[in-house]
Amino acid sequence: MSDLFFLPDLRAAAGSLPWHALLLLGAALAGEAVNRWLRLPRMLGWIAVGAALGPHALGALDEAGLAQMAPILDVAVGVVLFELGQRVDLSWLRRNPWLLGTSLLESAAAFAAMFGVLVALEAPPLIAAVAAAIGISTAPTVVLTLARDLRAQGQVTERVLLLTALNCAYAFIAVSVLLSWAAREHALDWHAAVLHPLYLVFGSLLAAALFAAVTLLLLRLLGRRHDAQFLCVLALVAAAVWAADTLRLSTALTLLAYGVGTRVLDRQRLFVALSFGRVGAILLILLFALTAARLDWTLLAAGAVAGGVLVAARMAGKALGVFAFAPVSGLPLRKASLLALALTPMSGIAIVILHDMAKLYPQLGPSLAAIVVSAIAIMELLGPLLGHFALVRAGEAAADGE
Amino acid sequence: MTVERLDFSKSAPLTMGVELELQLVNSRDCDLTRSASDLLSQVAKVPHPGEIKPEITESMIEVSTGIHTRHGPLLAELRQIRDALLEVAARLNVGVAGGGAHPFQHWSDRRIMDAPRMRHLSQLYGYLAKQFTVFGQHVHIGCADGDDALYLMHAMSRYIPQFIALSAASPYYQGVDTAFDSSRLNAVFAFPLSGRAPFVQTWDEFNVFFDKMRGAGIVASMKDFYWDIRPKPEFGTIEIRVCDTPLTVERAAALAGYAQALARWILVERPHRISEDAYLAYTYNRFQACRFGLDGEFIDPVAGTRRSLAEEVTMTLGALAVHARELESEPALRHIEAAVHGGNDARWMREHYERSGSLTDLVWRQVERLRAEK
Repeated sequence: MSDLFFLPDLRAAAGSLPWHALLLLGAALAGEAVNRWLRLPRMLGWIAVGAALGPHALGALDEAGLAQMAPILDVAVGVVLFELGQRVDLSWLRRNPWLLGTSLLESAAAFAAMFGVLVALEAPPLIAAVAAAIGISTAPTVVLTLARDLRAQGQVTERVLLLTALNCAYAFIAVSVLLSWAAREHALDWHAAVLHPLYLVFGSLLAAALFAAVTLLLLRLLGRRHDAQFLCVLALVAAAVWAADTLRLSTALTLLAYGVGTRVLDRQRLFVALSFGRVGAILLILLFALTAARLDWTLLAAGAVAGGVLVAARMAGKALGVFAFAPVSGLPLRKASLLALALTPMSGIAIVILHDMAKLYPQLGPSLAAIVVSAIAIMELLGPLLGHFALVRAGEAAADGE
Repeated sequence: MTVERLDFSKSAPLTMGVELELQLVNSRDCDLTRSASDLLSQVAKVPHPGEIKPEITESMIEVSTGIHTRHGPLLAELRQIRDALLEVAARLNVGVAGGGAHPFQHWSDRRIMDAPRMRHLSQLYGYLAKQFTVFGQHVHIGCADGDDALYLMHAMSRYIPQFIALSAASPYYQGVDTAFDSSRLNAVFAFPLSGRAPFVQTWDEFNVFFDKMRGAGIVASMKDFYWDIRPKPEFGTIEIRVCDTPLTVERAAALAGYAQALARWILVERPHRISEDAYLAYTYNRFQACRFGLDGEFIDPVAGTRRSLAEEVTMTLGALAVHARELESEPALRHIEAAVHGGNDARWMREHYERSGSLTDLVWRQVERLRAEK
């Protein structure tokens, strides 16, 4: 044996396989397979591999491994929200106020429908409200990735991005307000109940404005060199995620507003062509896979019925909002029905919110999670499919599935 | 095979109409965006004169006026159509801009409109069809009969470089400064049946030519000729096709008014003896106009003169004064005169880009310029 000392010790090596690299490899391959043979969105492959390797299935990635990746995930979520914020044109709301109406109604109706279902299922009202508030948001990762991969352009695409940005903002504000109520119930004084949401909302907006101003200042100094711009913004997004976390602000709202801010303040349009390119794509794959890994799919069996009803109620609420104002906002009914479908994806953000909440108020966690997680699990698979279907059928994809 | 004669419909002489191809851009990075269908589904609900129609790609929309005898009402109609289109576009968050070509779009991203003729063109011409995402203005001038139309067409060909230089608004293409004032026409010249019409002077002779071309299987209809200026027998007009879509409807109307006054001068005074020789310098002059705009050189091989296009326009304006008074188109001519001094749209675009350094910003200014009154 000793004369073969240079050979590796395979038994020891098996314990330290680079699972993250394998995850990335598997997700990339599965994504391509799903895209090529099934002509479906790549993200379904990423999700499947993440779920398979996660602690609730094969267990190749354990909780500790996931925790290790958490900072990268936070940056990935930050990048997505920033990019969504940047794509959104808030001045459109001024030119077409019915869109604001659509946004408020679809969010309110989705909230009411989910709240009703959850209360009927005998969930405590407060927990029902928090879960319903989480459900207001459409998954920014899904709609942004779909729009980009399909190179989709048109009214359904533009509107789903705008409505998503807005409903993510509402969802966060609503969740933060409800959490303060929860805080009061759990014997914290009323100051916290009032000041906490205010601090979250205004603190996040202020931080976003500061970051946006600094970003534009730096970009102006850098001039029009795209590589430098991209690195600079990626670093600043990571810094903003860290700042929001440290100041205990809302990461979601801060990054969304940061993206909006860079667009609003960029009067010379120096900064519009920015994209996160390949690094952004890798972050997205990890985000989808690791989010799916975190989901406890075993809850799906237990909560499937309640979750399914919840999902249906949410879709009905969103459809109501979209249809009510479709004609006056200049959207034909056919496109309105596709827009309603495109709004259904629900994933990343909901889990982030759930996680944030569990950290702050551990008392709330488990009973809420059981119902919402199964709804999320259903939407995790259904959402990308429906969104993909909607954009392709609307005739807004540059090439089917490519 | 039975040969159908190409009949030239009668139309009131010196009437005019304008078609404009406009760019549809998004409000984010101002790249071309596919939204013609979305816009068309909504414009029907807004009352407006003229027509708003689809074009070969989803990123383009065409507006056309009715038939006019006067510049004033033509301009008023163009403004009304523009306002209706912009009202819908604002609600759908789509930017509408003039200009002969999009400054930085990539033609491989374009998608061809889903209609049989568009599909046919796309299959026949391959990448040319997509690269042909350029935006032009067409001016129609009514003619009493086919012989008049052919005379007017040949006489008018001397002024084609003026129209190119005055309307030029495509200095940037695929993200670079092409050094041309009108890069759009270079995309047109790639087509096999572009250029000039043959020198035939009567409608009967034209029919003989057309039959030969159709008999040989080179063309199926008049639509297959991409000439700079061509007869349009269905309308009873000649159609000037070299203009880039200007950045404003005011300039578009002024160009039409200028063409109308020119046509009146040509038909009433017959100042030129038309001949094949007049075409000797045609492609040279056209290149000069595309490349250098109003600073380009113009050679008249018959008269043996050599001047800048700016000087040529100024001299022509002098000859047209009487006719403009008759046609009540002095405002149009004053606009053209101002363009000679203030520069064409290509110059405006270059000046703007020099200040801002951003083609995205340039496109946005184009959107604002189309919207602006004045």
